[in-house]
Amino acid sequence: MGVPAFFRWLSRKYPSIIVHCVEEKAKECNGVRIPVDTTKPNPNEVEFDNLYLDMNGIIHPCTHPEDKPAPKNEDEMMVAIFEYIDRLFNIVRPRRVLYMAIDGVAPRAKMNQQRSRRFRASKEGVELTESKERMREEIIQRGGYLPPEEIKERFDSNCITPGTEFMDNLAQCLRYYVAERLSNDPGWKNIVVFLSDASVPGEGEHKIMDFIRRQRAQPNHDPNTHHCLCGADADLIMLGLATHEPNFTIIREEFKPNKPRPCALCGQMGHDIKDCQGVAREKKGENDEFADSMPVSEQEFIFIRLCVLREYLARELTMASLPFPFEFERSIDDWVFMCFFVGNDFLPHLPSLEIREGAIDRLVGIYKDVVHKTGGYLTEDGYVKLERVEMIMQAVGVAEDNIFKKRKEDDEGFKRRNKEKRRRIRQQEQQRQGPAYMTTGQFAPHALGRRDRPEPVQNARQQAFDMRTHHNQDAAQSLKAMMKNGNNQSAGPSSQSDGRGVKRKAEDSDSEPEPEDNVRLWEDGWKQRYYKTKFDVDVNDADFRKKVVKSYVEGLCWVLRYYYQGCASWKWYFPFHYAPFASDFKDIKGLFTDFEKDTKPFKPLEQLMSVFPAASGNFLPTTWRNLMVSPESSIIDFYPDDFAIDLNGKKYAWQGVALLPFVDERRLRAALQDVYCDLTPEEVRRNGLGSDLLFLGRSHKLFDFIHELYQAESHGGTEIPAELCHGIQGALNLDDIPILPDKPVRSPIPLLRDISHNSAIGVKFKDPSYADGFVFKAVLLSGAKIPTKVLKPGDWERGQRQPWRPQLGFNPNRQQAHLNQSAFRALSHNMNRNQNPGHGQYSNTPPPGNYSQGHYRGGQSNTHSRQHGLMGAAPAFQRQQFPRPLQPQQQQFRGGAQGWDRAMQSQQGAYQQNQSRRGAGPSGSYQQRFDQQRDNWHNRGAPQPPRQPYSSGRGGFPLPPPSRRYDWN
Amino acid sequence: MADQRSGEDLVSEYLGQNRQLAQWVETQRSYNETSKQWVARREFILRNMEAFPSVQPGVPSTCLDRLLSLSMVWANQVFMGCSYPPAVMEKIQHMGEGIVVEDAPIFKSANSELSRGKRGAADESDAESLLKKAKTGPNEVVARATRPQKMAPPPQAPAEHQPFFNRLYKAVAWKLVSAGGFGPNLDHFEILRSCVESCKQTLTCVFVPLKDIAGLPASRTQKEGHVCEIRCHTVYLGTGYGRDEAAARAMASKEALKVFQGCKVTVKICRRRFKGRDVEDLLLLDEQPRSQGFPPALSYPFQDEQGESDT
Repeated sequence: MGVPAFFRWLSRKYPSIIVHCVEEKAKECNGVRIPVDTTKPNPNEVEFDNLYLDMNGIIHPCTHPEDKPAPKNEDEMMVAIFEYIDRLFNIVRPRRVLYMAIDGVAPRAKMNQQRSRRFRASKEGVELTESKERMREEIIQRGGYLPPEEIKERFDSNCITPGTEFMDNLAQCLRYYVAERLSNDPGWKNIVVFLSDASVPGEGEHKIMDFIRRQRAQPNHDPNTHHCLCGADADLIMLGLATHEPNFTIIREEFKPNKPRPCALCGQMGHDIKDCQGVAREKKGENDEFADSMPVSEQEFIFIRLCVLREYLARELTMASLPFPFEFERSIDDWVFMCFFVGNDFLPHLPSLEIREGAIDRLVGIYKDVVHKTGGYLTEDGYVKLERVEMIMQAVGVAEDNIFKKRKEDDEGFKRRNKEKRRRIRQQEQQRQGPAYMTTGQFAPHALGRRDRPEPVQNARQQAFDMRTHHNQDAAQSLKAMMKNGNNQSAGPSSQSDGRGVKRKAEDSDSEPEPEDNVRLWEDGWKQRYYKTKFDVDVNDADFRKKVVKSYVEGLCWVLRYYYQGCASWKWYFPFHYAPFASDFKDIKGLFTDFEKDTKPFKPLEQLMSVFPAASGNFLPTTWRNLMVSPESSIIDFYPDDFAIDLNGKKYAWQGVALLPFVDERRLRAALQDVYCDLTPEEVRRNGLGSDLLFLGRSHKLFDFIHELYQAESHGGTEIPAELCHGIQGALNLDDIPILPDKPVRSPIPLLRDISHNSAIGVKFKDPSYADGFVFKAVLLSGAKIPTKVLKPGDWERGQRQPWRPQLGFNPNRQQAHLNQSAFRALSHNMNRNQNPGHGQYSNTPPPGNYSQGHYRGGQSNTHSRQHGLMGAAPAFQRQQFPRPLQPQQQQFRGGAQGWDRAMQSQQGAYQQNQSRRGAGPSGSYQQRFDQQRDNWHNRGAPQPPRQPYSSGRGGFPLPPPSRRYDWN
Repeated sequence: MADQRSGEDLVSEYLGQNRQLAQWVETQRSYNETSKQWVARREFILRNMEAFPSVQPGVPSTCLDRLLSLSMVWANQVFMGCSYPPAVMEKIQHMGEGIVVEDAPIFKSANSELSRGKRGAADESDAESLLKKAKTGPNEVVARATRPQKMAPPPQAPAEHQPFFNRLYKAVAWKLVSAGGFGPNLDHFEILRSCVESCKQTLTCVFVPLKDIAGLPASRTQKEGHVCEIRCHTVYLGTGYGRDEAAARAMASKEALKVFQGCKVTVKICRRRFKGRDVEDLLLLDEQPRSQGFPPALSYPFQDEQGESDT
């Protein structure tokens, strides 16, 4: 969603929704990489059923990464994408479904945004190359050294658009990748893979939503499926909430601001292209062995738990004494709807609602006030109740004037503080008398022959402290001096520094010119000025204003419907560059009835024509490209060379509004009519609409069924038998160029080998279809179990129960490793605890590295450091004695003989359910693996934690702590 | 003014006689077009209909689409600040001749100004921003010829010149300090000249005898004397009048130095008169709001051959 600040705002306000991923890394032994066994329980202490990948969020960073050198060619890009998917798969370890969705042709409403992004990208790209060349020349003239220019041409990220050859190759490569993994990776053995490539219309995340929505609405759906959706867009959070599935988690890269980037010219870190000096590269490591490694940490992932967000929202939105019954699920839908006001990909946000200014809190406040009067919720199943929305908008409109004034005040305040800060820093610099190497205090230089001879050091410690704090005192003094003398720097030691001050100031005053803002929303008459400057109409032109409002109202309805029911109209779009004011939403009830039915999406190449600038025309056939440049073209107006960007009160160009003309669909289609005949058969194929594909491996239960279909050559939509595939439904159709078992799959990438022993099968898949006018209900399904609460209950009484322990991961009963008394006795017998008197009772040295790597990683990461220390210190002892006392203990726990807290156990109910309902599926193998693992431990004698997360047998659960445990708190 | 009125009247008159055509042309209006934009584009379409003889009102054809497309190109260029490949621009300019748009928005790009402190060099120059200027003052209604590219300084000019004038500002400030402050008894021209030269630039002075200036109030025309306009780097600094050229130049320098008395100087594109027409000129301004307009320009460095030829 076009709200970069949304996620930051959300994660600050609701911090517990974020859980850091535990990732098991592949090991390397004698130069051989040992892949991670993803059949093992998930180290995050939760099992996911379905993993959905919004592939565009993966393709972009893999093809033009910001923090590492770009891949050299397309093959390397593909391999990077595969590796990225592998990594995600390893973290999430889905047990049923992997769904990969690449953006297909988008609805018109989205195309305007795509268009603006691509036009900008093209413009930026050209400008970057230009400035690079200029800088290069300059540096070389100055005698600097630059690595020779790379021969490869610039990767035009615009090719990541459906219909291009690149996307077609990608689809082919992904087929190969899926077949390869299904055949060779044990973790993929039992999962179904869906691939929805760019030939299937719809945005990636919305294709995923459509899949979930359509599965949910059929009776065989498992209401407790645990979904995990990968993608960084903030609107995935909205989409996840809109499904009303109780177990929904989003995984995304952790955003770390200000990551260092290599200079685009010389490829070295630490400076920008602007400051490039062309200095020879520093040697990295003793023998330059780290030359290619980046000094940045690998990007890590975080989970966003929507069930926790739902808990937070329940607290925030629950209202007592409503004139109608309160339904939490409905209020969530309203919350999602209100977030659209603040920004989405399809509409410009209202000028008065700015997420950084707490717009959502404001809206929620207004909502809770107004909902008493509205007589009901704002939305129902994705349909908007306009008369109620109007009341909200009017309430926002009342505050509008103050919002704008406040914004200006805050802005000025911010500028003032910044200026003061700069000045303070400068003065501190000036205050420092003499050069930096001059010693101070006791060691300050003294003139010879004066009376004040240096005194001997009285108290060395004090002296050292004084010297350390000296700088601070300086700063304080200078501040005082500044306040006393105003800006006149009479306190300065020399007139020279005075001069410098004045000079600097003059420099400073012109360092930040402000863009002119003619709208001046903070002054009276703002509405008139806004309409005049932005729309070029008079404020009295009520008809025009009404038009804008009408379009915006349609937009709100369209967006909500898009999230809850799917694309209502492929044609609709918001035909203005700016939004109206909240106070303009008057009498909106009748402004919208319904969308045009049966609209069709663009064909891929048509979409390329409508989102690409002429500079990216090389992705199109010649005659088509010609339409973008020729003065004789009947659609030349869609392709300006250059365009204006209105900052619209923002600071940076990328935040501004690109003033691009809109595409006239009729004229586009008419113009393309004449050039359709110029397409090659290959292009005709690329221009066609494709189908989702389903892949699975030989050991999947559905395998034989599909194999049978191919043998019987049964065409015409066979339904999946629900019991074979976890209740997933849909129609299967034979693929024209299928991937079949025992038929070798050729590798599209020279780097990778062909699959000679293929055991995967692929077939076309179609989501279950529903009658026209079917409404997907936005409700919790019956049988859905709400996961255990994570937040501290409001009525948690300290006295009644134990102190509250925040939950950090997915597992509510995350176990800490504990030793019982006899173990402590054994330890102190074996170890002289007085060996390290300086380190307390036990050594605090962290365990050797190898302990944090093995497959215990997840389990051990939260064990107490003391245990780590112990284990690290005394491996010999553990090998011999540790497992033995533990075995009986474990059995005892399983039998429930140690009366631990029953309440704790029942809290795990949902989790338990989650595990046991796997039936004959993976859980059987868990049991097996557990036994194997146990054997392994005994054989290898590796340290064994006193518990085994998850897999202590079927029905057995993470062992609760013994009742008389050491209280770490 | 009379010209424009008649242009619009002409269109409505023409449409009044041609009911069918009027009905058809209304269907070509897009939903998001304001009346002002539509009226202008409609005129463009109607004026150029003859050039596309195969265009039949109401009959869809490629030819008609081409005309519509060109009309959109023209409108986008005038109302949105888009620019197109040179061949297209040329064509449009030709076709749009004579259509007068009152009070059209002005698009400026502020490249270098905005790129400062941005997220790195990648978008160093995409800061092409626009600053629309709405002119609403009743006395300022100006007709703008629809060839903004021809008779105007390049839009990025203020940003380009600004750093130089910042330097000059400092030079002047120091010079005045050493001369004992700004006052009537200085050799203003000498101060200005030395400052400009210390900044490695030269001043351009244009002298025009007062009597050669047309359109002055009658009381002034009889007077003898000269008017001087000082520019530096094509940017206008000041105008002055004097009995002889030296006095006029001193006066102009004094005017120019007055600008440097503010907190800072800014290079801006402003409208002023030049040879009886409104043109956009580069001016050096201080922060003070101006009560009156600028004196008419005596020279205009942004003229190209085309612009010259039709004056």
